[in-house]
Amino acid sequence: MKSLKIMFERVSVCALLVMMLLAGPVLRAQEKQPAKIKASSIKVTMIESDEIKLPAEFQISLYEDLIQQLQKKGGFQHVYRDGDRNAADAADLVILNSTVRGFKEGSERVRQVTTVAGATSISVHCAFTNKDGKLLLERDIKGNVRFLGGNLRATYDFAKKTAQVAHENFSPNAGT
Amino acid sequence: MLGGHSRMLLSGFLLVLGPFIAASRAQQPATPTKVVQITGLTGVKNKTSGSLMVEGGNLRFAHGQTKVDVAATSVQDVVTGNDSQRLIHGTLGTLTMFAPYESGRFLSLFRTKLDTLTIQYRDTDGGLHGAVFTMPVGQAEVIKKELIAQGAHTSVPTQEGADSPSSKATSAKEQKP
Repeated sequence: MKSLKIMFERVSVCALLVMMLLAGPVLRAQEKQPAKIKASSIKVTMIESDEIKLPAEFQISLYEDLIQQLQKKGGFQHVYRDGDRNAADAADLVILNSTVRGFKEGSERVRQVTTVAGATSISVHCAFTNKDGKLLLERDIKGNVRFLGGNLRATYDFAKKTAQVAHENFSPNAGT
Repeated sequence: MLGGHSRMLLSGFLLVLGPFIAASRAQQPATPTKVVQITGLTGVKNKTSGSLMVEGGNLRFAHGQTKVDVAATSVQDVVTGNDSQRLIHGTLGTLTMFAPYESGRFLSLFRTKLDTLTIQYRDTDGGLHGAVFTMPVGQAEVIKKELIAQGAHTSVPTQEGADSPSSKATSAKEQKP
């Protein structure tokens, strides 16, 4: 009977330790998550590339992929395009300004023949501001295509990452 | 060969008929070009093949029953470029990657050249849209010229249309790769 009690105590202590070990990272992760900014709609401005010479198809593809991905995964109620007059009346509007900081056009042929060379990469500085122009969040986001797909797939990669950043930092239900 | 009188008569005849010949050439129905819509058109999935033509002041993309019209006057920028794709592309192209003795890599060396046509246009709410098409070599410049003739603007004027007012309206910035 006594040995059973000791065994029960040991098992209880072990279970508690395991729970503490598992709960630690979860709690820490919750602490690390930044408070989301309240935003129910977003306006995407045309991609700027003043310093970097970017082919027109990449510029348009970046812009269109960004809008598509924000509509799918951004978590916003409305995604407005550059110049959309309806955005003027939108509440909790966030404006996304993107500037291309780096661009390396690779080669699909080289990628397919060598596997390791010919990658295409685009680096874009994304600044999320409110209506008054106050900076809310800024990030440098990269889009790459290393193995499969054409060069324009780099814009899809960038758009997916940007939509993820927006989803993590903005929410229509956030406090402020 | 021809007498002075006949030569005068022929010149007069050509002078009278000249404008009608030019008008009839201009009114020739535009022939659709086989294209692939890479991205941008509302209501059309990315990488959809169809036909593109400039007709009645509109750029028309047709894919089966789906037809999308973009008014040429709403087009703010038309830019052409060039690209290439594998000779064997699509699903079959992907499957060749698993072919024995690295023959898939060898096949990747064979590519066909393509033209790209990129447009920027505004919708009725003022929202900016963009669309990218790929098409056979030499077709993009033809469509660009037709669009400009119907009121579209470009930031990279064509050689022939460099003097047109619509081309001068926007600043020149070369965007070709």
